[in-house]
Amino acid sequence: MDFNLSKEEILIQKMARDYAEQAILPVADQIEKDNRVPDDIMAGLAELDLFGMTVPEEFGGAGAGYVPYVLAMEQIARVSSGPAMIISAHNLGLGALVNFGTDEQKAKFVPQAAKGEHIASFAFTEPGTGSDPKQLTTSAVRGGDHFVLNGTKRFITNASYKGPLVLFAIEAESGQPTAFVVEKHCPGYSVSKPWSKLGWHGGDLVDIYLKDVQVPVENVLGKIGDGYPILQYGIAFGKIGMNSVALGTTLAAFELAVKYAKEKTHRGQPIAKFQAIQMKVAEIAGIYESSRWLAYRLGFLANNTKNYREFAKEAALAKWVIARNAQEATRISMDVHGSYGLMEDYEITRIYRDAAMGPQVEGVIHMQQVILAGDILR
Amino acid sequence: MNIVVAMKEIPDIQQIRIRNRKPVTDDVPRTLGNIDKNALEAAVQIKEKTDSQVIVVGVGSSEVEDTFKEALAAGGDEARLVVWDGELESSQSAQLLAALITKIDSVGLILFGEGSGDNYSSQVGSRVAQILGLPQVGYVNRIEIEGSTARVTRSLEDCEQDLEVALPAVIMVSSDINTARIPSVTQILKAGKKPKEVLAANELGVAIPAAQVETISNLAPEMERRQISVKTISDLVKALADEGFGGGR
Amino acid sequence: MAGTLIFSENPALVLELATAALEMDSGPVYALVINNGPQAEKLSNHGLAVLSVDEPGMSSFDTAGCAQAVAQTAGQKDLSMVLLSSDRRGKELAGRVAEAMHAGCLTDVKGFSLEGGQLAFTRNSLGGATLATQAIKTPAQVVAVSPRAFAPIAPTATGSIEAVKINVPASAVKLVETRSKAGDTVDLQAAERLVVVGQGVEDQSDLALVEQVAQALKAEIGCSKPVATDKKWYPEERIIGLSGKICKPALALILGVSGQVQFTVGVREAQVIVSVNNDENAFMNKIADYVLVADLKEALPELVRQLG
Repeated sequence: MDFNLSKEEILIQKMARDYAEQAILPVADQIEKDNRVPDDIMAGLAELDLFGMTVPEEFGGAGAGYVPYVLAMEQIARVSSGPAMIISAHNLGLGALVNFGTDEQKAKFVPQAAKGEHIASFAFTEPGTGSDPKQLTTSAVRGGDHFVLNGTKRFITNASYKGPLVLFAIEAESGQPTAFVVEKHCPGYSVSKPWSKLGWHGGDLVDIYLKDVQVPVENVLGKIGDGYPILQYGIAFGKIGMNSVALGTTLAAFELAVKYAKEKTHRGQPIAKFQAIQMKVAEIAGIYESSRWLAYRLGFLANNTKNYREFAKEAALAKWVIARNAQEATRISMDVHGSYGLMEDYEITRIYRDAAMGPQVEGVIHMQQVILAGDILR
Repeated sequence: MNIVVAMKEIPDIQQIRIRNRKPVTDDVPRTLGNIDKNALEAAVQIKEKTDSQVIVVGVGSSEVEDTFKEALAAGGDEARLVVWDGELESSQSAQLLAALITKIDSVGLILFGEGSGDNYSSQVGSRVAQILGLPQVGYVNRIEIEGSTARVTRSLEDCEQDLEVALPAVIMVSSDINTARIPSVTQILKAGKKPKEVLAANELGVAIPAAQVETISNLAPEMERRQISVKTISDLVKALADEGFGGGR
Repeated sequence: MAGTLIFSENPALVLELATAALEMDSGPVYALVINNGPQAEKLSNHGLAVLSVDEPGMSSFDTAGCAQAVAQTAGQKDLSMVLLSSDRRGKELAGRVAEAMHAGCLTDVKGFSLEGGQLAFTRNSLGGATLATQAIKTPAQVVAVSPRAFAPIAPTATGSIEAVKINVPASAVKLVETRSKAGDTVDLQAAERLVVVGQGVEDQSDLALVEQVAQALKAEIGCSKPVATDKKWYPEERIIGLSGKICKPALALILGVSGQVQFTVGVREAQVIVSVNNDENAFMNKIADYVLVADLKEALPELVRQLG
């Protein structure tokens, strides 16, 4: 068992940290206020290959795999969750294309997305469905060499950016969920304005409206009527990015607590001198370490697994622990900050809101626990 | 033309701790000096405008190959390295680097940072220039290549000098010449695959002189200060006045 | 062989080098002047034994030529110790002179002592974290001495000028233009009192208050590196620390500097250090004589009021 990062992994981690501090940090408040990542940051992330980390080199990616992906995402989310959330959703849609696409589909959609010129998305959720594919209502009806799609998708990240969207609909003939690659902003495609949400500002969630959207038959991802494995892949692999975002939040909560404990004085001494504060700092440190190794290990498993069922279980476990840890860590960090922690001038407010997001999205925590328990107790 | 960038493997200064006034450098990760990275960036920018190759050279520990991956990621095309176990003094580093550089064909430019990140003695570039019999310019914050001439600006305390220097030449850059770029994921991953030659010092065919400088001690300075805590501005102003630093325009 | 050759293009620094050379007490002391008759005159009038090189073929901006001039003069006069100024020109020259003389060399030297009969020099090391004491083991020695490490020598009436002939190859460096550095040419190293701005001063609008504090204290304003290079609030001439100016003022009033060694090396020889910082644990406070833990946003206006 080797827990050491390779020199390359250390350099990628440092690269992401440097970029986050030099380029993203100065605009972090602006991202928070505008709920939008500035174009030059998107271009900067693209230039560093952060949109194509897990994509093989033959399709224009960096071929770095998932461990460097987790390391880089953690450092970006530490400074601002928005850009990390965009990369996470992008990587999910792109990963589905790489894993399930035909050579033609990959050649057509992946290279530009891997370079960050296009931003990918993954659309499953609908107003009436939680995580249950049987409840899908978006329809796909065959008409000659194309399908006609109608329906609404809810809370979709990156849906406003140009690029490929992996979208699930019930194919009429089979009556089964089927995955389609939809080119965003094609005729009949429209989006709502972004939901105003508690945290993760900068990564927008919008609803997608499909009105008689024509998708060529060759854009069916996988087989007709067989969208389920792709969905399962998405549910499991999407958690790698979400975990990394929550991990970055946890790291920020830890660093902010340490900084504040050293700076803030009470009766002439820094509050770090008080045991109550010391215990809180130690607690966050422990929480961070446990999240960290789970998140890194999930990256390692993602690189090496072929058993997606087994991986889904690991992902469910990591997801609930890391998401809960992020909330716990930010809450304790908030305690360290005392009443100042409630003031928007302090970064902890943003981190606190960001941490609330993880447990609720991409399958709520309790669902992860049910998946996991189902596997353990079967 | 080949642009040589000489970089120094140093312990990460930020991570050095002082114990009993002695610096503890064991287990401190190795890195490259910050100004050396500006020198590399300058080379890469010249390469982007001219048809040239950037060759990084350096002397370092058994980890030197790993350390220099960062330089290859940041735009070096090739590395020529020498492994040297133990301390090296400026005159010795200069001999090793000069020997390494002599083995490289059609060298147009040899770049250094104005000082290393750890010792900052700023000697090695000048010594290498003397050994190789090349012209040199230090504290440079602008380089433009025009044929076989470099137009450079040397920034001194009170003035700037625009100079023309015939190539090949040794140029030592200051940190304000540029902002070193952050390497991309692909560049980092490809760094390990770029050509590199790692030699032992005895393979260079040059006699390395004995160290010319002896370090008698190297301790954190004793900084005994009174650390008198003053509670208010008026206390501070009074303390200043008592020390003889009164205010008043 | 013994004797010392001192050289700097800056005449004020030559006088400091002369003091250092006398204190080292290693034989006769000569000051080299290259292509600068007036300076030769001035230094000899001050009491120095000047060796004057007048060689139209060489120029002061060409380090290779200057190094030859220094090394050949030292050779001709059989002088084993060369003292240069550790300003930018002197530091660039030092390595080249040393290599030409097969000499060991130390730069940024702040002082010396006798250790077991040999000269031992002190200088900062490891980015300023440590103070190294080092000796040069070669017969010829080249030492670049930090500005202000020694006081200028007092004038005497014993000066002289002697012409020296050297043989310098054609220069490969041509001067196109020299520009004075625009506007701000403050000499922080000469300042008796310094007010230093760090990142704890959060708003650029507060610099007006800093200015008033400096005026009240008759101090010059310096800054930590990020304040000049990242925030660009001050020109880089005002940076204090390892990559800027190393100062020895009577008073250093440090406003919101956390105190990394790369900075503290620039002020730690001040007679009195005052640190105002909102972080009680800031390392700067540990090397200060007076510490005020306060928010600068509130402290600055009050300080202006009370000093005024």
